[in-house]
Amino acid sequence: MIYLDNGATSFHKPPEVAQAMLRAMRTCANPGRGGHRPAMEAAKVVLRCRERAAQLFQCQPEQVVFTGNCTQGLNTAIRSLVKPGSRVVISGFEHNAVTRPLHALGARVSVAGRKLFSPEDTLECWETALKKGVDAAVFTHMSNVFGYILPMQEMAALCRQYGVPFVIDAAQSAGVLPVSLEETGAAYIAMPGHKGLLGPQGTGLLLCGQMPEPLLYGGTGSLSACREMPDFLPDRGEAGTLNVPGIAGLEAGMAWLQEKGQSQILARQKKQVTVCTDVLTRMGVRVFSGPCQSGTLSIVPSMDCEEAAAEFSRRGIALRAGLHCAPLAHESAGTHQTGTLRISFGHDACPMQTARFLEAAKEVLQK
Amino acid sequence: MNNCLITFRSVTPAQRGEGVLRRAGMDCALQRTPRWMEEQGCGYSLRLRQVDGARAAALLRRNGISFRKVYLQGENFLEELSV
Repeated sequence: MIYLDNGATSFHKPPEVAQAMLRAMRTCANPGRGGHRPAMEAAKVVLRCRERAAQLFQCQPEQVVFTGNCTQGLNTAIRSLVKPGSRVVISGFEHNAVTRPLHALGARVSVAGRKLFSPEDTLECWETALKKGVDAAVFTHMSNVFGYILPMQEMAALCRQYGVPFVIDAAQSAGVLPVSLEETGAAYIAMPGHKGLLGPQGTGLLLCGQMPEPLLYGGTGSLSACREMPDFLPDRGEAGTLNVPGIAGLEAGMAWLQEKGQSQILARQKKQVTVCTDVLTRMGVRVFSGPCQSGTLSIVPSMDCEEAAAEFSRRGIALRAGLHCAPLAHESAGTHQTGTLRISFGHDACPMQTARFLEAAKEVLQK
Repeated sequence: MNNCLITFRSVTPAQRGEGVLRRAGMDCALQRTPRWMEEQGCGYSLRLRQVDGARAAALLRRNGISFRKVYLQGENFLEELSV
């Protein structure tokens, strides 16, 4: 199987990830809930992951809150900043994990910057929206559909300039591009543990620049006599038992990334995207590519994109088709009716994957 | 022998405190805070030598690690210290 669906989740993770999870299942009990050895071992595993994440994303370990996925982190962040009727600006490439919580809250949402691969347009529209006055801003660092890398630093700087608290959705960029809570000054940065960070599904991180409103209420192992949730991090955001085996795996994934070097992985991914773009374009396929692009590429095949994905699957190539839970991004790019077929490279991007994909593409897309 | 006990609201700052103190060469043990000492319920503490108490508290503050109280604990007494 040639796996090119890393935008959904990374696969073929480093073996150290599963090994760490198995070790945790054999040795760890509930962290922060007892003083016996398995409980303390679990606490050690959790702190190790918190510290590694803090190092990778430039914040204090206490600012790292474990979540079940990026969506949970985004919901926590959005509910902390946005109230019914709040004016919120978002980019034109947001995922449903951003748009649905905003809709559910009854926020007044404006969309700024819809041109693909145009940081100039994104920034111009972003500033115009901020100037008009908003209560909060939420933006993705990287489009999950098109791989467009938004100008995060500049967008963050504009938010700071206009005094607007903001949330960064780092679902696709964490583990691929540098992300810093300290540098951006974000109120919150949410990310999954199971994509670029190479941890298992069911893990995520919320980096907190501010004190969040809890999404879940319950036991934290601290201040147990109080009816209120603790007013300190990370406990305020971590009600209930943590996914310790998942966190152990996430730590192993991040350690692997740090050892191999994120920038080298991204360079390999980009190279494969360039090759795919060249060949597919020559084949007459509609390809979305641009200068600020990561290791993700979307195309519109001449046949239905789901049928195309099924054809690729029959040939041992795993791709994702459809709207990718991001209808807004498709509206922005004009692909809402057709959807796209997405090729997203991962930490193991290599020429062999590209060659196998293109070989299949010649059969499927030129039918 | 008397010990010093530094209490924390939860396990994360206690663990981080343990790391800071150990790196500074102070021997300490992470443990649950006795229930009767923690009116808000459930916490962790670091037990260390009496002689290290004041230095440990200063070091924790310098590293931004918040703790609740510092106690001097002997066989038959417990005294809160202002450090």
